[in-house]
Amino acid sequence: MSDMITFPDVVNWAVPFFIAAILAELLWIAIRGRGGRYETRDALTSLLMGAGNVASGILLGFITYGFFMVLWEITPLDLGTSVTMIALCFVLDDLRYYWVHRFGHRIRWVWASHVNHHSSQHYNLTTALRQTWTGTFTFMMVVRAPLILLGFHPAMVLFVGGLNLIYQFWIHTDAIGKMPRWFEAVMNTPSHHRVHHGRNPRYLDCNYAGVFIIWDKIFGTFVPEMEEEKVDYGLVHNLGTFNPIRVAFHEWMGIFRDATQPGLTWRERLNYCIMPPGWSHDGSRETSTAIKARHMQTHPEASGTPGLPPLTEHTL
Amino acid sequence: MPLSILVPMVGLGISGIAVLLHLLGLSRQATLADEAAARAAWLREFPGDAPLRVTLCHDRSAALIATDTGRGVIWPMGADTTARYLNGAQIKPTRTGLHIDLPDYTAPRIQLTLDAGETAEWQNSLEETA
Repeated sequence: MSDMITFPDVVNWAVPFFIAAILAELLWIAIRGRGGRYETRDALTSLLMGAGNVASGILLGFITYGFFMVLWEITPLDLGTSVTMIALCFVLDDLRYYWVHRFGHRIRWVWASHVNHHSSQHYNLTTALRQTWTGTFTFMMVVRAPLILLGFHPAMVLFVGGLNLIYQFWIHTDAIGKMPRWFEAVMNTPSHHRVHHGRNPRYLDCNYAGVFIIWDKIFGTFVPEMEEEKVDYGLVHNLGTFNPIRVAFHEWMGIFRDATQPGLTWRERLNYCIMPPGWSHDGSRETSTAIKARHMQTHPEASGTPGLPPLTEHTL
Repeated sequence: MPLSILVPMVGLGISGIAVLLHLLGLSRQATLADEAAARAAWLREFPGDAPLRVTLCHDRSAALIATDTGRGVIWPMGADTTARYLNGAQIKPTRTGLHIDLPDYTAPRIQLTLDAGETAEWQNSLEETA
C-alpha cells in the first residue's frame, strides 16, 4: 500500500495570494467607496487568528495525521492518486465539510471551535482568515475517517481539504454581488456565504456549504440572500474584545463555566457540551430555533419565507 | 513552504496591512449619532429588552441604558458597537472617564471617555446596578 505519497501544502503556498487579494479588495473599497468595510483592529484580529490557525496546524497536525495513518494501515483499499480520484475525493470531502460545518453550528462543543470565525462584525477577505486554533479538540477528524477507509490516501484527503479552504477565501467579500445564475445554482458564492455569516434570525444556521451549495439544497438548509433584508454580520451576542486569545477560547470558557456550575445533573452538564449553542438547563437562554420563533411572533408576516418556518401552534 | 519564508511573510503581511488600514483612517471608533441610534444599537444586542432611558455621553462614543431588566452600556468595538448589562461590574474613575471590569470573558473591561460631570453622574448611576 502506498504510504509515502506527498501533496503540496497548498494553504501555506496560498499565503502570498491571500495577502495580495486583501490588498486588492481594500484598494477596491477605497477607490469605489463601496463593496465592504475594513477596520484596523478587527482586521488585525482576523489576521492573527489566521496565523494562529497555521501555527496550531504545525503544532497539533500530527494528531490528526497520525489518526489518519492508523486508518490507512487498517484499510485494505487503495484508490490511487489519479486525477479522477483526486476530483472524486474533492467532492466527497466537500460533503464531509458540509456535515462538519453543520455540526459546528448545532453542537456547542464544535461551535466552541468554529465560533471565532463568526465573531467579526465585518465581512471581508480578512474574515476568511479568522480561523480556529482549537479544531483538533473537536475530534471532527473522525468525519474524514470514511474517506480514508474507502481508500483515499490521507495526504490526498488533506490536500483536497486545503483546496476547499482556499476556495472559500474569495467568497468572504461584500465586493461581489451575485455571480451568473448557473454558478449561483451549483457553487457556494459570496452571496450564499454572506447569508451564512448573518445574525439576522432568518439567516441563522443555514448555507453550511464549502464549495458546492448543492449540499444545502439537498439537505434543506439553503436560504438565499434576500434583497429586502440586508445581512447583519457577527454573533447573536457580539464580543466586547479584540484580544485573539479571548476570541479563540471564549466559548470553551463558557462551556466550562456552564457545565461546572453547582446543582446540575450529569445529563445537564453533558447537554451544555453537546446541545445547540444557546441551550440552557433552565431555558433562560435562546437557541437559534427560539430566536426564529420569537422573531416570528413580532413579524408574523415573515413566517414561511426563506429561513423562517411557518408559524405553528408550537411557535405561537 | 519553508518556515524561514512563511513566518517573515506572515509577519510582514499582517503588520503591513494593519499599518495601511491605520494610515487610511480606518481605525476610527464608532459614534452613536443620537439617542435613536443608541436605542437601535442596544436592541441589536438585546432585542427583547427595550430601553426605558438612554443617556448619551458628550462625545457620543457610549451610552448608558436603563431597561426593565437593569442597566447596561453600549460602547464602540472598532467601527461597530456592542453592549452588556452591568451586573457584577466593578467601576473605577480614571483621568479620562470610567474603567469598568465585567465578570464576562467576552467583554472583560470597558474604557469610557467621559467629562468630569458625566463621570460622577454615570458612576453613581452604574453603582446602583453593580
